[in-house]
Amino acid sequence: MRLILLAALLTAFIAAISAGAVKIDLFNMSEIERNIFLDVRLPRVVLAGLVGAALALSGVLFQYVMKNPLADSFTTGVSASSAMGAVIAIMLGLMPYIPLFALAGGLAGLCLVSRIASHRGRIQPITMLLAGIVLSTFASATISFMKFLSDDAVSSIIFWLMGGFQAATASKDMILFAVICLSFLMIRDDYLKLDILCFDDTTASSTGVDVNRLRKKLFFAAALLTAFSVGYAGIIGFVGLIIPHILRLGNFVKASYLLPASLIGGAAFMIATDLIARTILQEGQELPVGVITSSIGGVFFLYLLIKRRKELFYFN
Amino acid sequence: MVAVLGNNGSGKSTFLNVLSGQMDFTGDYRVGNRKFQEISQQECARRIGFLPQEAALNMPFDAFYVVLTGRFIHSDGRMYSEQDVIYTEKAMKTFDVFHLKDRLFNALSGGEKQRVLLARVMNMDTDIFLLDEPFSGIDILHQIKVVDIFKRLQREKIIMVVIHDLSFAIHHFSRFLFFREGLLLYDMGRNELDPEKLSDIFGVRVGFVEQNKRMFVYTEEI
Repeated sequence: MRLILLAALLTAFIAAISAGAVKIDLFNMSEIERNIFLDVRLPRVVLAGLVGAALALSGVLFQYVMKNPLADSFTTGVSASSAMGAVIAIMLGLMPYIPLFALAGGLAGLCLVSRIASHRGRIQPITMLLAGIVLSTFASATISFMKFLSDDAVSSIIFWLMGGFQAATASKDMILFAVICLSFLMIRDDYLKLDILCFDDTTASSTGVDVNRLRKKLFFAAALLTAFSVGYAGIIGFVGLIIPHILRLGNFVKASYLLPASLIGGAAFMIATDLIARTILQEGQELPVGVITSSIGGVFFLYLLIKRRKELFYFN
Repeated sequence: MVAVLGNNGSGKSTFLNVLSGQMDFTGDYRVGNRKFQEISQQECARRIGFLPQEAALNMPFDAFYVVLTGRFIHSDGRMYSEQDVIYTEKAMKTFDVFHLKDRLFNALSGGEKQRVLLARVMNMDTDIFLLDEPFSGIDILHQIKVVDIFKRLQREKIIMVVIHDLSFAIHHFSRFLFFREGLLLYDMGRNELDPEKLSDIFGVRVGFVEQNKRMFVYTEEI
């Protein structure tokens, strides 16, 4: 199964670097073609892969924390509050600091939500989801208000909110790669604990897992991944929901399989989606990638609610 | 072996939750001559195996893996060893659930789940076992098998069990804690049991009948 995932990632990658608005023969490039390839296409494909990996991993982490398959950076409100931070950065004209503002926004949102959802030092999953919805709504409203206030930044805000990888650069790729490595290192020794976290809290903590400490760590890693993804590529919905769910259906259930697989699967999915987004329209026009993931995700969300109600029930 | 008895809401589960470190408390509680507050969560898990009344699992793990997770505190935290796998097989065979090892835990019947969870707790290999209604949902055949396992272990381990079946408890257990309205009313040995006290505790008329040198309990409304 892991081999299939790797093969899918490789195929998507090769397809994505060879196709595009400008036809490029990989083995025989002219000067201009080489510039296009190295400065535009390759960073873009890599960014798509990294953002996909980060979002899928953060989705998995949110699902562990909240014991709920509907949890991801979207439903907890972390995406929206990161976006709010990023929009503030755009309004102030501080483009290079977008990820930092997104991180500040995301962490502030997460602190708020987990504070609201904490009861006697424990996080209540249901309250958390509700608080996440409220936070999302509030953040969207704030973003709308900021759009209304600023006439000159409005087009760049709208463009950025739709989500996409047009603004990819090699340095963004490297920073995001470092962020993913950091988050992965934070949790790679906790696979067994993550599995035990799937039991009820009493069973988990009496087995010897410090449930609350682990949750805080997972929260931070997930917020970090979300903030940098949002900062570089805008809001791209549902990846953190779709990929882990498909992987669990494909029998990746233990954390030691699920976490690496979600990185690879998320990357493959996002590279393929971005490839579709930039090649489906004629004459080099592009569809925002967030439009594609959100529409696939919306249908998938409905499928979850209708067909897999029983499983959702099990999660509570 | 200690049986904890009392009506619903009389404080049995709260008592076990406190003893297992799942709930804050005031007062003095010592494990092996040390104040409980000074014992870390890890050490607590190494000494006390706790089976809560309702366990839930929200990931499609197979029964074998569920039992294996009981070895967490003995593992290096990253991987389960060969030894852990051997212990797990043994625990599953002991509780007669080895044939279920590849089935999904959440697809098992209530009694099968309970036996798998019992195997999981026993797999923790602690000195103290606190079991909240371990017999619920288990058929008569396996109730007897399980209580026999407890009897074999009782020389080396402390086993405290919340139980509702008075006859079964009196026949198999030697020490009894009775709870009523949040208070521990009596701590008695088998010889001290008396129908009047029991009637008072449970709010029903309790009588003893002896037949073939075995004590039977009957209950009726007052």
